[in-house]
Amino acid sequence: MTIRLEKMIPLPMLEQDTTDSGIWEQESVLFEQGKHYLVEAPSGKGKTSLLSILYGLRSDYRGTVYLDDQDISQFSWKKWSRLRKEGFSFIFQGLELFDNLTARENIELKNSITGQCSPSRITEMASQLGIESFLNRKAGILSFGQQQRVAILRALCQPFSYLFADECFSHIDSQNRELAYNLIRGECERQGAGLILTSLNNTEDLQTDVRIRL
Amino acid sequence: MKHLYRILWKDHSRTHLVWAFLGTLAGFVLLLAGIQFYTDLRSILAENRDLLDPEYIVINKKVNIGQTFGLDRPGFTEEEIEELRRQPFADRVAPFVSNAFPVSGYTENERFPDFYTELFFEAIPDEFIDVKSEDWQWDQGEETIPIIIPQDYLNLYNFGFAPSQGLPQIPKGVISMINFRIRLKGQGAGNYDDFSGRIVGFSNRIHSILVPLEFLQWANGRYGYFEESSPSKIILVSKDPTDPSIIRYLDEKGYDTIREKLKSSRMNIILKFIISFLVVVAGIIIGLSFLVFLLSLQLMISRSSEKIRRLNKLGYHYLEISRPYVALLMILLAGVAGFSFLITSILTKQFARMAGEWNLDIATSLHGIIYGTGMGLILIIAAVNVAAILVNTRKLCH
Repeated sequence: MTIRLEKMIPLPMLEQDTTDSGIWEQESVLFEQGKHYLVEAPSGKGKTSLLSILYGLRSDYRGTVYLDDQDISQFSWKKWSRLRKEGFSFIFQGLELFDNLTARENIELKNSITGQCSPSRITEMASQLGIESFLNRKAGILSFGQQQRVAILRALCQPFSYLFADECFSHIDSQNRELAYNLIRGECERQGAGLILTSLNNTEDLQTDVRIRL
Repeated sequence: MKHLYRILWKDHSRTHLVWAFLGTLAGFVLLLAGIQFYTDLRSILAENRDLLDPEYIVINKKVNIGQTFGLDRPGFTEEEIEELRRQPFADRVAPFVSNAFPVSGYTENERFPDFYTELFFEAIPDEFIDVKSEDWQWDQGEETIPIIIPQDYLNLYNFGFAPSQGLPQIPKGVISMINFRIRLKGQGAGNYDDFSGRIVGFSNRIHSILVPLEFLQWANGRYGYFEESSPSKIILVSKDPTDPSIIRYLDEKGYDTIREKLKSSRMNIILKFIISFLVVVAGIIIGLSFLVFLLSLQLMISRSSEKIRRLNKLGYHYLEISRPYVALLMILLAGVAGFSFLITSILTKQFARMAGEWNLDIATSLHGIIYGTGMGLILIIAAVNVAAILVNTRKLCH
């Protein structure tokens, strides 16, 4: 799978100066499956907009986005639903956890429609992330950093060709961040998937194939 | 999947759903019971009309003061009878024939007290008489005249006269065994003959002392000397006694009848009306409850809109998201169907028991049409609600 952007810009970004952007309104921007991309920008430059557009949640943009030469704006309902189960996984900046479900139930909620991971695999990944002991607590009472790791784990519970990670380490300390990043990279490599990670400008230590300034 | 149900069911409004459930249930019971009883009633009415008893109506002219002084003719003219015959509600019409000579009856039996009375006889064709008896026939030369008297006369005697006078009550069977003498007098002294009379039946339909038509025609020819009087009573058979034009016609012509029977026809009309009213009310209740159902589920969906969007982001298809709502709907509607059939069949049994005491034959179990109607309505409600659920969840999804 390949994602290609052609002169794409979200409509709200038109009001901003985007001349030195590595993505907005560029002739062609390519995200290849199997490569790891880090999209860096300060707040308000459209990191979340980019991922939301690629994930089909937003369609307020100019230009075209192609997935394997198909214009994603033409995708049907069914196609998006299938893509989100089998093609694209997303770690949301807002986490999108259900507060009154436990951490494990939140993960199972996703896993139940993909059937990707066994319960023991979930426990194993949780222990790699250092959240095994929180799995049976309600998501609502976990700290934001813990919740972030639950959201990361949940996103890995599905087959995907691309993983969109939207500032997913913002509240995780550097030691745990490395553990989490290794788990994500490991899972992406195992699935041969592309990774598009967005971040503020404090992630110089992360190893990636391509860094793009938004 | 169980987590999905937990998340989405959390946002229901119990009060709304309970009211919607109870309202729909009440509406269903009313409707189904209404249809059930209407079906029974209609078959009873139909039986009454076609098989057992078309309505027999005895018509006479109202008695006025002119008749008392002999100025007005009390009877029906040929033209009036013809006109009645032409009415669309009149199926068969026959005038009563009465005796044109004096009749008296007396007893000549040692076991009974002496008894003498002036009498009158009337006759109508057999087809109008509700008593079927082998003895009800007379051939010329026969000495015994079969007689039918109203059931009411016997009741009057047995329950009114006899107890007050210290006389024994007489069962029907015994009465038919009593022979008494009948004297028919022609014009001129000594011109009479004695016959023997025997009561062969009791009529609930005709309030008169009836003898076979053949006999009365013969006797009128043999003894009659009164001026040929026009018939004072007419019997009318109507296929549809519920037809209100009968009463209208009678009123218009100034004819009189025992209205009891027509009253029961009116009762039928009123009963029909009440049941139609019931069905309409049930329809309205079902309609309103249906709306509450629809709105409750929509409210539930809109309360969960954030969660639905979130689930959609996680890759849930809107059909998967709809499932808990559809499941809830199905559980409630299955409850409505089950309980309404149950309650209606209990009501039916009760009603049939009560109706049995009134000698009405009413089904003790639900008619097929009840299940058909119930399930049909449930399916319609389910279909509309499911459609609304799908549209509304889909609206929230990208």
